[in-house]
Amino acid sequence: MTTLTQSQTPIAAETSAPSVNRMPFLLQVSTMTWRTLITNIRVPAVVLPPLIISVFFLFIYEASLSGAARFFLAGQSYLGFILPLSVISASLSGAGVAGQSIVRDISTGYFDKLLLTPVSRGALILGPMIAGAILLAFQTLVVLGVALLMGLNPVTGVPGLLAVIGFSLLLGTGFSGFNVGLALRSGSAAATQSGGFIFFPLSFLTATFVPLDLLDGWIKVAATYNPITYILEAMRAILNTGWDTEIVLRGLSSCVGLGIVMFAFALWSLRGRTARK
Amino acid sequence: MPNGEIIVDQLVKRYGNFAAVNGVSFQVHEGEIFGFLGPNGAGKSTTVTMLTTLALPTAGRATVGGYDIVTEAGAVRQIAGVALQEIGLDPLMKSTELLTIQGQLFGMSRRQAQERGAELLKLVKLDDVTERPVGKYSGGMRRRLDLAMALVHRPNILFLDEPTTGLDPASRRDVWTEVRRLNREYRMTIFLTTQYLEEADELADRVAIIDRGNIKVEGQPNELKAALGGESINVTFKDSDAVELAKTELGGMFDKIQVDRKTLRLYRNGAAQIVPSVMSRLNEQQLEPISLTLTTPTLDDVFLQVTGQRFDVEESETVEVSSINARRIRNN
Repeated sequence: MTTLTQSQTPIAAETSAPSVNRMPFLLQVSTMTWRTLITNIRVPAVVLPPLIISVFFLFIYEASLSGAARFFLAGQSYLGFILPLSVISASLSGAGVAGQSIVRDISTGYFDKLLLTPVSRGALILGPMIAGAILLAFQTLVVLGVALLMGLNPVTGVPGLLAVIGFSLLLGTGFSGFNVGLALRSGSAAATQSGGFIFFPLSFLTATFVPLDLLDGWIKVAATYNPITYILEAMRAILNTGWDTEIVLRGLSSCVGLGIVMFAFALWSLRGRTARK
Repeated sequence: MPNGEIIVDQLVKRYGNFAAVNGVSFQVHEGEIFGFLGPNGAGKSTTVTMLTTLALPTAGRATVGGYDIVTEAGAVRQIAGVALQEIGLDPLMKSTELLTIQGQLFGMSRRQAQERGAELLKLVKLDDVTERPVGKYSGGMRRRLDLAMALVHRPNILFLDEPTTGLDPASRRDVWTEVRRLNREYRMTIFLTTQYLEEADELADRVAIIDRGNIKVEGQPNELKAALGGESINVTFKDSDAVELAKTELGGMFDKIQVDRKTLRLYRNGAAQIVPSVMSRLNEQQLEPISLTLTTPTLDDVFLQVTGQRFDVEESETVEVSSINARRIRNN
């Protein structure tokens, strides 16, 4: 059916039935992840501030509170105690990357272009979420490096550090999911950014500066119900006291639980955005 | 078995009580360029979003390439290429990256997608700017890349939603050349929406004019213009009283007369020859026209004829003849 000039390959379809070749799902996810990664790396302004903020907080907390910490940490390292908070702050502030990528796709119209291809809707959200998590893990790696330079000496050694990075990956995927959900619902950069602040209090309504046992009153109640508390405790234990299975599992399940809720929110939002109306 | 046809039957799209598209029916034949013409907000883009499976119709039916747009959306996406009015390109990516991803999502291997991308970049003459992020492209370049994106999977049918809106005249002509080429060389069916009458006139084998959600007329541009009954003389006066007087005075000389605000449109074959008589009749009645123009029918006139209002005055291809020039015509 096609007329060809010598050097050209056909532009129009040659086959009589639509091609049913689809990219395998995992390849779709990795392609979408790669795309989000390269576009974010091209805008360092997106990636650098959360990194700088977490290192900044680490310095400030360590400098101002490490002396006082002698009274309640019974000889444990305050750096090991406060570092997990830095990791969580980084996860929170850096999770915006995934959401902002989606907002950009929606506002440029590229999201619609993707919807016109046979891409799986799941890959459209998983890609940015995983990319967000990878960037966060990288961020955690840098924060850990700085902490090591500041004298951090984790009792569990390298496996412990890897576990902390694992926690940050899980947490990052969860928070990214929440951000992706917000982005899909609102389609607006401002709304996605301010929506992300809902989680900001979560990182403070917890055993932020002192262990849970030393808290009192309403903040103790809030901290007890806050899953972040258990994630913090798990990372603190790994860095300062060793592998306490119960604490680590509690932290892990809090992390996974939070992640599942966030991913469900992202999926639900995606359905709202992509449902043909 | 896909074909290059689009069949639309009583398609409706409502948003609450508002019918953006109100029961449109038309047919696009295989291998033709079909111009879907209408002013802003007429329902063109809404129709395209339904035909390209981005939105569901409220009522009615349509097939694209033989596939139902509601129940066989996946198949429609496989055979239709779409360049929407809003150019959907990530400004941070490079053209090669965008085209490769697009090809891969349509099932090509990475290498096939890269080769296809390179071939299309050559086609749309962007093969020398592959290292530049798309955000740094000009409007015309972005439009051409968007066209290339729509062609990656070798579609049978190409939807172009206002492909030249916002482009400068030179880029607009480039897009026209490309559209003609795709249609001529690859027998691609092209569904083109436009708000430019000139564009529809220039490119389309057939057009449908849509206004306020309804199709007003459908046919070949030449037929539609010919149906208006030849040329028209347009005489503009200072006030409506003069228009009414002139209408009474000149009524008998023309096949059809239309009043468009302070302008009287007088239709008949060979209108140019009777401009002198018109002027002398007006002089007798001491009616001084502000201007007198002689127009060969355009799609604008077709639009005026079917909707009762002007499409876009700037777009009409009028031959301006002032009253002085009209006298000159009389003297000749």
